[in-house]
Amino acid sequence: MNSLDLSVEEGELFSLLGVNGAGKTTTIRMLTCLSSPTAGEAFICGHSTSKESSEVKKIVGISPQDTAVAGNLTVRENLELMAGIYGFDKAGTARRIADMTKLFRLDEVLDSRAKTLSGGWKRKLSIAMALISEPKVLFLDEPTLGLDVLARRELWSAVNSLKGKITIILTTHYMEEAEQLSDRIAIMVGGRICASGTLEELERQSGETGLENAFVKIAEQAGGAES
Amino acid sequence: MKRIFAFSLRNLKELLRDPLSYIFCLGFPLVMLCIMTIVNSSIPEEAHMTLFNIENLSCGIAVFGLSFVMLFTCLNVSKDRSGAFLVRLYASTMRSSDFIAGYMLPCLVLSVLQMLVTFIASMITASIVGSSAVRVGGSLLAMLTLIPGAVFFIAAGLLFGSLFNEKAAPGLCSIIISLAALLGGVWFDCESAGGILFDICRVLPFYHCVKAARMAMALEFNGLSVHLLISSGYAIVFAVLAAVVFRSKMRADLA
Repeated sequence: MNSLDLSVEEGELFSLLGVNGAGKTTTIRMLTCLSSPTAGEAFICGHSTSKESSEVKKIVGISPQDTAVAGNLTVRENLELMAGIYGFDKAGTARRIADMTKLFRLDEVLDSRAKTLSGGWKRKLSIAMALISEPKVLFLDEPTLGLDVLARRELWSAVNSLKGKITIILTTHYMEEAEQLSDRIAIMVGGRICASGTLEELERQSGETGLENAFVKIAEQAGGAES
Repeated sequence: MKRIFAFSLRNLKELLRDPLSYIFCLGFPLVMLCIMTIVNSSIPEEAHMTLFNIENLSCGIAVFGLSFVMLFTCLNVSKDRSGAFLVRLYASTMRSSDFIAGYMLPCLVLSVLQMLVTFIASMITASIVGSSAVRVGGSLLAMLTLIPGAVFFIAAGLLFGSLFNEKAAPGLCSIIISLAALLGGVWFDCESAGGILFDICRVLPFYHCVKAARMAMALEFNGLSVHLLISSGYAIVFAVLAAVVFRSKMRADLA
């Protein structure tokens, strides 16, 4: 990562768009206290990620790129696990599980073991586990990677329903996904943010129409398209 | 405490839902108990071979079973480390001490359950073969003396699971399981063997775990404390070592 400078507004859905190896996951790892930056500082809701990591961890939720669920536990038990870790009592846990079940329509799989679920259900569960602690900021690392079109659309609909209620930072290399979901988009190439703004602003900046054309133009100008 | 409880419960469920846990932690030791009892019945009394008498066998088998708990602790940790599940938990409010306690406590519960089953099976076997050497009091005392051994094996599992990946770790544990059975005097009388072999047995914790349990079972308390102290020492050293290594690995992952 190099000279990364960005700010995200409360309640915004902000996408980090870039090719493989652009540094999207590394950015998320640093913002969620999973990696330490060699220089510079990041703040989540006023808390420094390097000096106040325990405070930051209380207010962020992450759904990692790989499916991070406990395979031998049921969907309900996975949710109970995360609620327990964040200190919810029995009533609070039941309330949050009910909320997540409604949001992601988990009723039919609630008592199924996570390892038996399809990729789409696992991804939904992964996001629900990140959300159960009522985080202020949710990090979604390539949430629809490897999903079929129907599962992807369903997940988009769930993410869309969260817009405005919670700040979401999403990484993706799917143009359509960034276009459909984001309030603002940052284009990352070679560990740097080359451009950021709304879709219209990126189109204006690149002189192209459509996110894909704008992305290609900006990435080529940054010399990173081949990477 | 809530974090430790939540994570311990998850690990306990993972262990109890793995059929291999039952096969290796309960089934295999119980099968060995039956086989060796049959073998013992074929050994003539003139041989003065008491190693496979049910009171000695039960303690050896209990230690043998504990060594499999090490394998499952190790597998649980190394599997978690290889996937993204720990990444999610690292990003949560969990501290390294929560992880260590959360991995060790359910394995300790499993160890106690395993010892209970082994000693109950031994009492049943003893009544079948007409032996009065396996008593409830002796069995309970033997279980108590095996707690340091259980902690040692669990800590070793946590240590190897932290150091090695899920492909290498089980192989290493298999070697330790074989060593524990061989050098612990479970399958042969290492005291009678004497020489360098017995010296090696005395340096390692396995013999002391088995010996302490056998002495407790026989209600022989003279000299028991030495064996208990050595197995407790190993348990403490390995628990500290496992905690330090797990913590440093976690820090390295978060660097």
